[in-house]
Amino acid sequence: MEQKSKWEPKIVGFLCKWCSYAGADLAGTSRRKYPANVRILKVPCSGRVDPLLILKGLRLGFDGVVVSGCHPGDCHYQTGNYRARRRIALTKKFLEYMGVPEGRIQASWVSASEGDKFARVVADITKGLKEIGPNKLFTGGGQ
Amino acid sequence: MEQKLRKEARKLLEEGEVDYIIGFAPGSLKFSTTPLIAKGKEEVASLVINPFMVNNLAKFLTEMPGRVGIVAKGCDSRSIVSLIQDNQVTRENVVIIGVPCSGLIDIVKIEKLAGKDRDEIDNIALQGEKAAVIVGGQKTELFTKEVLFDNCLACEFPTPQEYDILIGEPVAATCNRELGQEKMKELEGMTPEQRWEFWKCQFGRCIMCYACRQVCPACFCERCFVEESQPQWVLPVPKWQDNLIFQIIRNIHVAGRCTDCGECERVCPVNIPLRSLTEKMYGLVKEMFNYEAGTDKNAPPLMTAYEYEEVKDLIR
Amino acid sequence: MTNKKISKKDIGKLLEGWSREFTVFVPSKDRGVTEMAKWDGKDTGFFEWYRNTVIPAKSSFLPAMEKMFSFQKDTDGYHLELSQDQQKRILFGIRPCDARAIAIIDNVFTDSYEDPYYVSKRKNTVLIGLNCTNPYDSCFCTSLGVKPTQSVDVDLMLTDIGDEFSVEEITDKGKELLAAASVVKKATKADDAKAKTVTAAVSGMVKRKVDTKDIAKKLQACFSDKDYWEKVAANCVSCGICTLLCPTCYCFDICDELSKKQGTRYRRWDSCGFSIYTRMPMENPREEKWRRVRQKVCHKYEFYPMNFDVIACTGCGRCIRLCPVNWDIIQILSSVPAEQPAKKKVVSEKDVSYRY
Repeated sequence: MEQKSKWEPKIVGFLCKWCSYAGADLAGTSRRKYPANVRILKVPCSGRVDPLLILKGLRLGFDGVVVSGCHPGDCHYQTGNYRARRRIALTKKFLEYMGVPEGRIQASWVSASEGDKFARVVADITKGLKEIGPNKLFTGGGQ
Repeated sequence: MEQKLRKEARKLLEEGEVDYIIGFAPGSLKFSTTPLIAKGKEEVASLVINPFMVNNLAKFLTEMPGRVGIVAKGCDSRSIVSLIQDNQVTRENVVIIGVPCSGLIDIVKIEKLAGKDRDEIDNIALQGEKAAVIVGGQKTELFTKEVLFDNCLACEFPTPQEYDILIGEPVAATCNRELGQEKMKELEGMTPEQRWEFWKCQFGRCIMCYACRQVCPACFCERCFVEESQPQWVLPVPKWQDNLIFQIIRNIHVAGRCTDCGECERVCPVNIPLRSLTEKMYGLVKEMFNYEAGTDKNAPPLMTAYEYEEVKDLIR
Repeated sequence: MTNKKISKKDIGKLLEGWSREFTVFVPSKDRGVTEMAKWDGKDTGFFEWYRNTVIPAKSSFLPAMEKMFSFQKDTDGYHLELSQDQQKRILFGIRPCDARAIAIIDNVFTDSYEDPYYVSKRKNTVLIGLNCTNPYDSCFCTSLGVKPTQSVDVDLMLTDIGDEFSVEEITDKGKELLAAASVVKKATKADDAKAKTVTAAVSGMVKRKVDTKDIAKKLQACFSDKDYWEKVAANCVSCGICTLLCPTCYCFDICDELSKKQGTRYRRWDSCGFSIYTRMPMENPREEKWRRVRQKVCHKYEFYPMNFDVIACTGCGRCIRLCPVNWDIIQILSSVPAEQPAKKKVVSEKDVSYRY
């Protein structure tokens, strides 16, 4: 019989106020079950998310970071999510080159009516992180 | 060529077209140059053009008021254009004196090949495909390819594309980015864990001197994120974690402005291979957005531009 | 006058013997940069490449990052854990310029308050000097009263006389250390003569000179000359390398790393070249680059001598070699105007920028 691991991945989510946060809210009001691993931080727009926030999350010990915003073309501030798209894409690829496992940084477009999608996204990411393992990137000795 | 440069620089100052000339003067160490910021027309007599003019002079543009005449190699002129794109420099206030460059000599490479420090070498001369290094009267011939900087080997724009005056004949590009990418390829061949360990080890010796940031023309923020204490993103203590985060974020912040001039790696006092990072970012930017920094002064900067449809597969 | 010598072949044995009681530090390239690092137990090949380290010997007493104390919050209150470094160490192969630099910064850390971290390291470390045989072209130690082949600031001084080192005992600490070593032999008059020849030859190899007589007065006279200092500072990029890697610079900053129930206080190198060095909530008195450059030069050659009667520079040349723009202190010092400028430029309050 397989022993269930006690470790649960901790994910920090940067959700845009207008779409994704409302979508997450909808997931809750529709009683849609999804893993409780994500800690949600509300940002005004996904375009506010600086790679610094993502790296700070990893530095503090979070196992995964997810950034979620309005669908392209639908941003409340018109162009915020386009900028976010470029920034997050570069951050993801660059960090993979540095040695951060691929599944740790994720991004999604979740609109205010997509409670289901949000739940699915979190479940997917949590499953992926369980396979990758805990974040030991910034702990341990250097030199 | 040097005479022409000095003549043009002097003319610019005499005619009142510029308030300063920024160029290269001979340095106090062997095989070195130092940036010269000349106000008077007598000072421009010491301007030089040689294969040791390593500095990226575009850095000084963001701190000089008034009209400036600046000597620019291919990579420098791209940095200037990049600054124009970011509205840090007005095109009308800069007179770009373009100097086509066939590559700069990396003194560190020569020191390794000759087994001697720079002050023990008598002379270095480039003769086309070969480079002659004279140590203690003995001449060694090396291939020019072996002694140029890695980013010079892969240079795609040796002739400034944006200039007002051109000194010398345009130089054809080698257009071979494969050369000088060995370190990066080596890293790409490792597993993620190995790569992270490699960088952990490298940044263990960083002393947070910020020279990489200070010499970079793309780093023109008045207040860098490392200087923020509320909130404190990066502890100012040189722990490897914070050093690593600093460098990663710096690279992402300058993505699209970095022209891979290689200054950051050259100036690092503890020999961290920073170009392995900038080179990768440069490649990513080209691959994902087909953008090369500083090639079109009317193009919007990379991170403020967007296409309606792009980067489909990375975001759910 | 020396009366002892050690064969170069026996250095490994010598260091091994000392390693039983001390941690021995030697010049090393293992981390990718030349510095004084723990001896790995076997390699004595550093004599082949060692001219001077990039990271100065001050880092053994004032490290780039030093843990001062850490604390933990438990149910019964706070528990403090002080960092005490009582390790007995030997710094083997330190050059006279770096040794003099340590003597110079001793003033700061023992003046009116004894810095416990620095002082405990200093008390527990034995310095073994090694004469220069191949000074850089950027060295100018002789202009600052430092001899590249002799030192009174170390406990033992080694002079390279071919296959052997002649050893001079400078302090009792050094005598004790040497008494314990079995590979030490008696030196002959011929060895002494060889040492003298080497000494004379190397002093002539330090080519660059700067006249430091009355430099303090000269700097004082041109303090308000904004045009001069702007010209001097024009090509500096304010990076901090010259100050961080200068063996006589000692500025440090203290910061805390805090998390919910614990924290650590660190001390780390700071530089007056950083633009935020004097930044305060209301203003930054050294906002402009020329003020910071002026501060650096005047502090080292005018203010420090005013306080401690010694110029805070030993002519090691690191600032010249490592500067990204080849800003050269020798050229600056040689170009300080000898007399007061005819029209004295007074820097008024209006020149200080305020940021609200």
